[in-house]
Amino acid sequence: MTASADSASSFVLLHLGSRRFALPASTIAELAPPVHLHAFPHTSAKVCGVIVRRSRIVPVYDASPILIGRRSAAHRFYLIARREFGKTGELSAIPVDGECELVSGELQAAASDDPAYVKGRVAVGDDFVGVLDFEALVSYRQQEPENEAPAVLS
Amino acid sequence: MSTKVYETAKARPRHPEQVIFFVVSGQTFAIAADAVKEIRSTDGLAGAAVECETPEVPKVHHFVERAHRPYYIVNGCEHFHLPVTRPSLALVLRQFRVALLVDSVERIGEIPAVYPLPLAFSGEERIWYRGLAYVEDRITPVIQPAGFLSREQLDHLDRLLPRSNQSQHVEGVVSA
Repeated sequence: MTASADSASSFVLLHLGSRRFALPASTIAELAPPVHLHAFPHTSAKVCGVIVRRSRIVPVYDASPILIGRRSAAHRFYLIARREFGKTGELSAIPVDGECELVSGELQAAASDDPAYVKGRVAVGDDFVGVLDFEALVSYRQQEPENEAPAVLS
Repeated sequence: MSTKVYETAKARPRHPEQVIFFVVSGQTFAIAADAVKEIRSTDGLAGAAVECETPEVPKVHHFVERAHRPYYIVNGCEHFHLPVTRPSLALVLRQFRVALLVDSVERIGEIPAVYPLPLAFSGEERIWYRGLAYVEDRITPVIQPAGFLSREQLDHLDRLLPRSNQSQHVEGVVSA
């Protein structure tokens, strides 16, 4: 995978568990405080409910089982990003642990063993942090049992 | 700059509506009050219920005859894939031959609007729900009455019945 030539840009650095990831700042709408997560029965994988933000209903994807292998802590902020659905788009949230930071840097190529939802890496201090492809992340299919999906409540 | 419009679920411009808030397996749902013809106790319904089971429609175990037509009793827990509880009431729908088993009716109230279900929800819930209501700091799914039994399921159930119970009319239902 190669990074684009004009890739020097801003990223939002987020924390999940003890790990850090980044999302292109251009895809982020806002960081919301830990508001109430409303859950109701549904069968959509990775969606864990909705939050109400500025009088609007925003779906929440729990990406932590994919990114860190488990559900994350209860008190979380919500990073609200833009997800595209064909000709339209939808504001969508992912829970994150703690505050986020804005960092600048050049998008480097992803490592060969990075999963499909990591589109590159950005240098943060002495470390390299995976830059997430939001669309690839929320549509990423983990190996799941083949039987009928039960309703998800939280 | 992108011209794409990023939506969050905004309420459709519409008038407030009366709904019945009911509970299935601890979850609260809302259904338009005018979509419900009767609320019956399951005790009252039990004597009239006739067994009607098929693996094709596992959420239906019985039907009752109302006005010479079969109404299929849909178990709300099984419909929403929730843990099974003991229902105490049946909501008999007005335009569809369905009686929905529920645990209880919470209240009858007004919702100011129905928000469309966000596109992130792509599963069966798109058939189950008309949208979402936001009332008293709580999000409640608003039921799509046509979503309980598809036309195919209704046809399948109708074929199981003795000829005298078979309906001459199949109301509009959503496809599976």
